[in-house]
Amino acid sequence: MSVGIIMDAILRMLHGIGITFGLLGLSLAIGSIIAVLLLLMRISGRWWLSWPAQLYFYIFRGTPILVQIFIIYYGLPQFDWIRDSMFWSVLRDPFGCAIVALSLNVGAYVSEIFRGGVLSVDKGLLEAGAALGISTPQRFIYITAPLAIRISLPAYGNEIISLLKSTALASTITLADMTGIARTIVAETFAPYQIFISLALIYVTFTWIIQRTIRWTEGYLGRFTIR
Amino acid sequence: MDAMTGWWDDYFWASITVAEVFVCSLFFMVIFGLLGASAKLSSNAVARSLANTYTVFFRGTPEILVVLLMYFGSAVTLTAIAQLFDSSIRFVDIPPFWAGTIAIALVVGSYATETFRGAFSGVNPGSIEAARALGMSNTQTLFYVRIPEMWRLALPPFGNHMLSLIKDTALISIIGLNEMLFVAKQATSTTGKPFTMYIVVGVIYLGFSTIITLATMLLERFANRHVRRAP
Repeated sequence: MSVGIIMDAILRMLHGIGITFGLLGLSLAIGSIIAVLLLLMRISGRWWLSWPAQLYFYIFRGTPILVQIFIIYYGLPQFDWIRDSMFWSVLRDPFGCAIVALSLNVGAYVSEIFRGGVLSVDKGLLEAGAALGISTPQRFIYITAPLAIRISLPAYGNEIISLLKSTALASTITLADMTGIARTIVAETFAPYQIFISLALIYVTFTWIIQRTIRWTEGYLGRFTIR
Repeated sequence: MDAMTGWWDDYFWASITVAEVFVCSLFFMVIFGLLGASAKLSSNAVARSLANTYTVFFRGTPEILVVLLMYFGSAVTLTAIAQLFDSSIRFVDIPPFWAGTIAIALVVGSYATETFRGAFSGVNPGSIEAARALGMSNTQTLFYVRIPEMWRLALPPFGNHMLSLIKDTALISIIGLNEMLFVAKQATSTTGKPFTMYIVVGVIYLGFSTIITLATMLLERFANRHVRRAP
């Protein structure tokens, strides 16, 4: 297999970049919103809010994402009321299903990361805020959140990288993301080493870019920190 | 749940397969992790850069891609070798069980490499000096001082690695291993009840994860039995 064919394959695989990054960006955004809601439930101090959040985390951490994707994509159409509901336009489409599954997952993991950040904020700062008469929601927004975001950033970056890797699972439900295209090319040419290794290197490059960006952001957010 | 009639035994054997994959890949994962960690901590520059390449590659590549590469790659190589001897052979592959097991062990092993490396460098240097002063050999220091101290540090992330392993076993269904997702697919095509079939898979995986989480908690308690807690 010549270099030219590998280059052609790489160009073809890069056509899937839109889907891969569409999945990454959308599910990261939706997932982070879910994560904040779950976080607020978790730290609310009310058992009927925090228990469901814990159960959610337990379920999503304990099952493979592939199984979740299959439940949503193949499983949900079993029910007529889902096919009649307004969600059907999303759940009919493999892209929509992948977004739903990945977002729910990201929500679970990121809420746990944010919780770690929130718990590590110095109690004294919150007491100082209370002494100054700042209300609880304001203390959360102006004191806890900025510090917690900075603390949870490295773990959040790792989560983005695992999400990038998880988007490859969308190829199992017929999506033509980079992995999906690679599988098609391998089926045509039967050159698994060249195609899959080139694709792996593409993923590694993106991972590296994400890591760099996160590290730079960390440095930027920590610019007032005294070392 | 009526749809499940007649499928329980298939699910049972499929979950046994998952457990087998888990145990085998756990074994290889620990080996890869320890090899990687010792290479990273060694003074040999070649070993260090090999280990770095290993972790960078496998931590940045989707698991599904590694599984596909391992299975189809080995099939192409083996077929080519077999054809040297007998040109009538069309296709030789290694069993999906082993291709998948090694693939997920390689991926999770790259994470374990970092865990073990961190844990070994987290061992108190004072303890090692004390062992030297008592005249312990390097091997003795490793088994009586370094490992008992490092596994206390390594256990919590190691528990997470075991969870990743059990979840990654689901990927092996795409190269045709007869495990739970595979059974669910077959069951769906006969019964037309996909939700029921896939939910059962999810529940079984949740059971496995629960067992692993509890086992990790017990192991942690056991590893820390000598550690004095703050009064």
